[in-house]
Amino acid sequence: MTTAPRPAVAEATGAGRSTAPRPPGTGLLGRATRRTGRRRGYEALSGWLFVLPAVALFLVMGLYTVGYGFLLSFARWNGFAPHWDWVGVQNYKDLLWANPAYAPRVRHAATHTLYVMIAVPLLTVLVSFPLAVLLNSARRMQTLLRSVYFVPYVTSGIAVFFAWQYILQPDGAVNAALKTLGMGSLAQPQGWLGNPHTALPTMIVVTVWGAVPVAMLMYLTGLQTIDRSVLEAAELDGAGWWRANASVVWPLVRPITAIVVLLNLRDSLQGFQTFLVMTNGGPGDHTNVLGLEAYRLAFLKDLAPTLGLASALGWLLFAAALVLALINLRVLRSRT
Amino acid sequence: MTTDTRAAGSAPAPPANPALTTISRYGARIVVGLLLTLYGLVSLYPFLWMVSAAFKNQVEVIRGGHLIPHHPTFATITHTWNELHFFRYFMNSVEVTALTVVLTLAVYAAAGYAFAVLDFPGRGFLQKLFVALLFVPGITVMLPIVLLENKMGILGTHIGLVLPFVNGGAPLSILLMTGAFSAVPKELRESARVDGAGEFHVFTRIYLPLTRPALITVALLTAIPTWNEYLLTRVSLNNANTYTLPLGLQTLSSENVPHYNNLMAGALIVVIPVVLLFLSLQRYFVNGLVGAVKG
Repeated sequence: MTTAPRPAVAEATGAGRSTAPRPPGTGLLGRATRRTGRRRGYEALSGWLFVLPAVALFLVMGLYTVGYGFLLSFARWNGFAPHWDWVGVQNYKDLLWANPAYAPRVRHAATHTLYVMIAVPLLTVLVSFPLAVLLNSARRMQTLLRSVYFVPYVTSGIAVFFAWQYILQPDGAVNAALKTLGMGSLAQPQGWLGNPHTALPTMIVVTVWGAVPVAMLMYLTGLQTIDRSVLEAAELDGAGWWRANASVVWPLVRPITAIVVLLNLRDSLQGFQTFLVMTNGGPGDHTNVLGLEAYRLAFLKDLAPTLGLASALGWLLFAAALVLALINLRVLRSRT
Repeated sequence: MTTDTRAAGSAPAPPANPALTTISRYGARIVVGLLLTLYGLVSLYPFLWMVSAAFKNQVEVIRGGHLIPHHPTFATITHTWNELHFFRYFMNSVEVTALTVVLTLAVYAAAGYAFAVLDFPGRGFLQKLFVALLFVPGITVMLPIVLLENKMGILGTHIGLVLPFVNGGAPLSILLMTGAFSAVPKELRESARVDGAGEFHVFTRIYLPLTRPALITVALLTAIPTWNEYLLTRVSLNNANTYTLPLGLQTLSSENVPHYNNLMAGALIVVIPVVLLFLSLQRYFVNGLVGAVKG
């Protein structure tokens, strides 16, 4: 199956390595070794010059900041005081259990994050796979619809989140639509984001809405690589449309499902922009998530010495992301 | 081919009834068409209301309820563009995005060329280092970036935004450019080198023209998230003259009573360029995204 994920980087290095025992320059057989030596040197030098800008930027904006953030996670600092107070792993302890001012909030946010991490990948797959199957069977309009389905992805950002906020208001379009359809009892008089019970599920729906485009596109590409003869064979054997998709197509696209699930797990774990813009964690912290909590500790605490805590929370998120990535690798390896 | 044998084990084919099949095929196509259109509406739903509110005046937007404005007006958009400084925010966004795209292309096309074509010590290690960057959550480095830029004196400037944006795009850009460059036949470089062309010449005259689709893809995949970026921008910029569009929107919404017609007009100004860019260069976008996700 061509959709099996293979890092392009691995391919590139592989291709480079295969040419490593370079054939000596034509017609220069006698001086081949010396020439190759000099050419190697020249090539190494140009290689270094070509990556220099990228590496320089990476050293400052990447490596330095990562190292700085890591050290800061073992200190207490408010961003202005001349010195850091080293506290060892106290920040991590405070976040996880020790400090009653932080640990319960973190746990609360972790619960919400967990809900999001379960619901978003699941719903995204449940919507995008059938959608891709249907879209793949549509002959006309396929390109047009694909573009339409993709708009939520390219516009993803504060502008769209404000539009959602606008239509989810108490007198917004969603409530109005429900009333028109005779389902006025479902309408939320406090607004969908104002009611503590509907706020988190609503945020999950908005997140899924934004996640479907990429997932749908990946399924669609996968479906288009499936050999038609496989489906025709299933059809000849009397498998109906439903059965063919459930027991032939679905197993074939399983590697794609694995990627979709894991990408969305990662985004659900780390993402918080939608929450910051639409609810800011409210009402009453009912939509607070871990990323948002870290952002608050880092930028919205004025002079309180919480910068170390923010860093520590960031690194806990990193550790969780790393575990997910490792599971990702394991799952993909076992499938191929 | 385990799936084949499993399918073969299922029930034998039902007796075919041509008339019935035609009807159900026809019916099925209508159902499929309806479902697809329905999801299209779901995709566009917030945008429909965005456009609707942007063409309403203050009174009408408060009354709400109806999608098509009774008294459609351009005044809201022109007011937002002129009086609410969206023209300035727009130009700032263009500046930040253009700088980010140009730098990204220059820096990572060169790096991708080195990784794909040249053999130098430390190549494998560096390549892994850049990919590892993918796993560091944005929130983990955001605070150190702000503190560092504060020390360097570039916090709050556009260049202070551009540098981390460029660096943040490194893994994806390197991945795509390395892939594109290694697809170019090695013989082209070999023969040019034999003819005495320098490495930089080979890179700019042979490799760059041949990989234009990949360059466009990288430009698009950089431009769109940069245009929409809000998190780092919000904690970096503090002077309204330097605000980009997302921050301009943010200021509109933080008024005591947000005027949703102005807010949606602003949102429309943010969204339209991105949608146009996407529609006109869709092909590159889709290919690049699929390639990126697989990597």
